[in-house]
Amino acid sequence: MKIEYINPFIDSVHKLFSAMLGSKVEQGQIGVAKGKSVPFELTALIGLSGMARGTVALSFPGETAVAMVGKMLGIEVSTLDETITDGVGEIVNIVAGSAKSKFTGDGSPIDLSLPNVIRGDNYTIEYPSQAVWLEVPFESELGPFNLRVTFELDN
Amino acid sequence: MKALVVDDSEVMRKVLMGALSRAGITDVDQAGDGNIAVEKVKSGEEYDLILMDWYMPNMLGIEAVQAIRAAGSTIPIIMVTTEAEKSRVIEALKAGANNYIIKPFEPAAIVQKIKDTIGG
Repeated sequence: MKIEYINPFIDSVHKLFSAMLGSKVEQGQIGVAKGKSVPFELTALIGLSGMARGTVALSFPGETAVAMVGKMLGIEVSTLDETITDGVGEIVNIVAGSAKSKFTGDGSPIDLSLPNVIRGDNYTIEYPSQAVWLEVPFESELGPFNLRVTFELDN
Repeated sequence: MKALVVDDSEVMRKVLMGALSRAGITDVDQAGDGNIAVEKVKSGEEYDLILMDWYMPNMLGIEAVQAIRAAGSTIPIIMVTTEAEKSRVIEALKAGANNYIIKPFEPAAIVQKIKDTIGG
């Protein structure tokens, strides 16, 4: 995975925050995710296929997920229920979908899978050695979260 | 005025219902995939507008647009999707969608798009 491939996904996060969440977000340093990582309570994943292969993962503490989905809906939300898991699935869909068009221009589009959301207080994500995952921590007015992406473009 | 919101995300359906309400449409029906949307239209439900997602289980939004047009319906349809590639926009318009908005969108932009499409 080329390091610049992460940039459209970072841009998408910024776009999501400015357009739909009306909140500030700041990115941390881009790093390589290796071995095992202990993610936050909720991880939303979506696959990319077609002209590219990859996976986009957004990992949120419960409080961040509740705050972000509440902001999207424009209401006060306090419980982490299926509305929140549905909402973070939609958020990863928006981040991945909005980024993928930057890679293809007028060529064949990249397809998205349906999102999946994992929730738990004690799980790890392992990175198989053949795939390089880049990760970016974010701090926002709605709380911290992480973006992880593995992405290869077909020639 | 009555609208149909088609999206597999309950959160996005609520966001879109809020936008419809701000555009003056409060009578809103919902569908969680393209298949349900096509059945609702074919059953004779009368809608003035349909908001349609792209990626959904069972039937994609683009296939639902094709099926709705094949059934002879001329209800205005706005695609509300993350699909930003030019080829996707062309594909949707060829299938019979009337308008297109890309997620993420500003709240005011979706309200305007709805008003433009229904001629309000």
